[in-house]
Amino acid sequence: MKSVNLTSCIFILVFLLVISSAVFPQEKQDSSSSKTPNITLNYLNTSNDTIILSASVSIKRELGVFALQNAEITFEASAGGNESKFLGKVKTDVEGNAVIKVVSKIGIPTDKERKTIFTAKFPGGARYLACFEKTSVRLAKILVSFAQEDTVRVIKISAFQVENGVPGKPLTKEKVTVYVPRLFTLLKIGETTLDENGKGQVEYPEKLVGDSLGNITIYAKIEENDIYGNVQGKSSITWGIPKQYFLAERPARQLWTPVAPIWMIVTLIIMLTGVWAHYLYAVFQLIMIKRHAQKLRNNPPL
Amino acid sequence: MEYQSTKEKLLQEVAPHLERTTWVARLWIFFLLAVIGIGVYAFIQQVTKGHIVTGMRDNVVWGIYIVNFIFFMGMSYAGAIISGALQLFRTEWRKPIIRMAEYLAIISLLIGPGYILLCIGRLDRLHYLVLFGRIQSPITWDVIAISTDIFGCLIFLYLSLLRDIATLRDYTALKVPAWKKKLYSILALGYTGAPEQEIRLKRATDIMAAMVIAIAIIVYSVLAWIFSVTLQPGWHSTIFGPYFVIAAVYSGTGVLVITMWVFRKAYHLDQYITRKHFVAMGVLMVILAALFGYFTFSDYLTKWYGSEKNDESLIRILFSEYYWPFIFSNYIGVLIPLLVIGIPRLRTINNITFSALVVIVALWFNRYLIVVPTLESPYLPIQDSRPEWLNYSATWVEYALLAAGIALFCLMFTIASKFVPVMNISEMSETPKPEEAVLFQSEESLL
Repeated sequence: MKSVNLTSCIFILVFLLVISSAVFPQEKQDSSSSKTPNITLNYLNTSNDTIILSASVSIKRELGVFALQNAEITFEASAGGNESKFLGKVKTDVEGNAVIKVVSKIGIPTDKERKTIFTAKFPGGARYLACFEKTSVRLAKILVSFAQEDTVRVIKISAFQVENGVPGKPLTKEKVTVYVPRLFTLLKIGETTLDENGKGQVEYPEKLVGDSLGNITIYAKIEENDIYGNVQGKSSITWGIPKQYFLAERPARQLWTPVAPIWMIVTLIIMLTGVWAHYLYAVFQLIMIKRHAQKLRNNPPL
Repeated sequence: MEYQSTKEKLLQEVAPHLERTTWVARLWIFFLLAVIGIGVYAFIQQVTKGHIVTGMRDNVVWGIYIVNFIFFMGMSYAGAIISGALQLFRTEWRKPIIRMAEYLAIISLLIGPGYILLCIGRLDRLHYLVLFGRIQSPITWDVIAISTDIFGCLIFLYLSLLRDIATLRDYTALKVPAWKKKLYSILALGYTGAPEQEIRLKRATDIMAAMVIAIAIIVYSVLAWIFSVTLQPGWHSTIFGPYFVIAAVYSGTGVLVITMWVFRKAYHLDQYITRKHFVAMGVLMVILAALFGYFTFSDYLTKWYGSEKNDESLIRILFSEYYWPFIFSNYIGVLIPLLVIGIPRLRTINNITFSALVVIVALWFNRYLIVVPTLESPYLPIQDSRPEWLNYSATWVEYALLAAGIALFCLMFTIASKFVPVMNISEMSETPKPEEAVLFQSEESLL
């Protein structure tokens, strides 16, 4: 009976294994087929005649999404036609990022609407297919200045389009966010909407800590805008509360101090006194043994 | 009456070793002197040509000299702790072996610091240590501690020798040169065994026994602190103090077992140093093996689990470049005594002696692994150094001086045994007190 049960169990187990593999077949891997990586392009206009283009390349595998390292990315700019301006080639780092800084003075092509199409291309290879990403933006600039009205300090924002390298139409009704850099990230301190002249202002909050001289940098940003993309302007002023650097009061390494610490001297004296007192006691006993011998020699017992 | 006859018998037994030196003994002494001579030649080479003749370089500044220093100092503290403890607890089986432990304490203590001097590049500036010594430097602590220990061990040894020296002075049948008799007479301090003298002697010996134990623990901890107060991978550890003390007593117990075996064979002391003494020392060795294994495991486990970059790299080196020395010192060196003593059938004199030999070699490598791999993998990366300087490899000069140190140790032991017997005759002649006899019996039944 027992053997029958055991055989049945084994049979059922094998059957279930077969069924399960039939119902949930493992996805077959075709190692020969190439995969298309995913590429993203980020645009940032820093307003000091520099545009930062950063591309991220990743690949999706079974275990998740992995960054593609050492992929050569070509950056280009065009006015929408067939011709494009080569900006540079950069290899992706360990995190799959390739970053290039473009000086806008080089003459970036624009179309009739003053728009530029930036492209990041990955040419592909033996294992990965080619891919690209585009972003279309209009060049703009933000200026940050400061003013004090009575006791109130304000941060003034001015934003405009850039046409052939010179200021053009003001940016109207765009939202600008103001930040100050802190230890790990930027801290938002205010927000304004630009008026018809492309101007706006934010009250400067007191009690912001700057560097040791009180210098503080203010960032004004238009973020992820459909027309202008990311535009950033910054300026510094000495409105910050000077940072106080305190030297922590801690002892230097004891070995290099000119004089040994008192506790050490006291401990050493106590220990050595204790030890040597016992030594002297033992030596004293030896002296007494010798004296006793002399006494016995001088006065031998009867 | 019984005391006198036992004493007489023992004196007759040991007197020949004090009176004459056999040709085998002479040959042995000559051999030891030859080894020491090679060591002297190596030392002259080192002084005249500098430390370039050693394997020590800019990065690995300590080599087997420091290893030998730690090893000999450890043997000394083991001798002090064992002899002190046996004396204080009046252990009956101590009598034939306690003198060897005392000799071990002082002889190792005289040789060990010599290796520090070999490490010093400018011996001509040695006196600066005293003139400009800084109390806050662990090296100064070591100098103070070791010199204090030397005095303590010398007083303790002298106290325990006193009764035997007086016995030899009074033993008229002893045919030794007149100068030796005169020396016995001077050193005996007129001791006759009068009750007052005996009380004073016992009092002083007990106090010094306690002191040498305490000093040994403190001094060896100071030696450990030289390492543990240093920011180096593997050294900056809080358990180094007790770890060093345990390792010291462990290795010293091994050396004491070897010493017992040698003198038992050389001086035919089979009826005095018996299997019982070896098993007793073996049991001590097992306890110390377990403690040593525990400390070693704790030390490396916390370093490994912490995954601190440099500690991790050090452990990787230990398990790759130093694989066999590491396995030998930390596994075989612990397991062999446990097996030999743990299995009753294996508990023979020769087996216990063999396991003691394994312990000695294992513990020497243990100290080597503490010193050298750490210096080869410092926190600050080694830069602009010659590739051949990155790793330490001892030269013939260092090996010659290691051999010379061991030979000097053996020679001093041999000379000491020619001056005063290696067994404590006076104590062995005494009938055990009732409480001691009971303790002795219970130890026998335990063993």
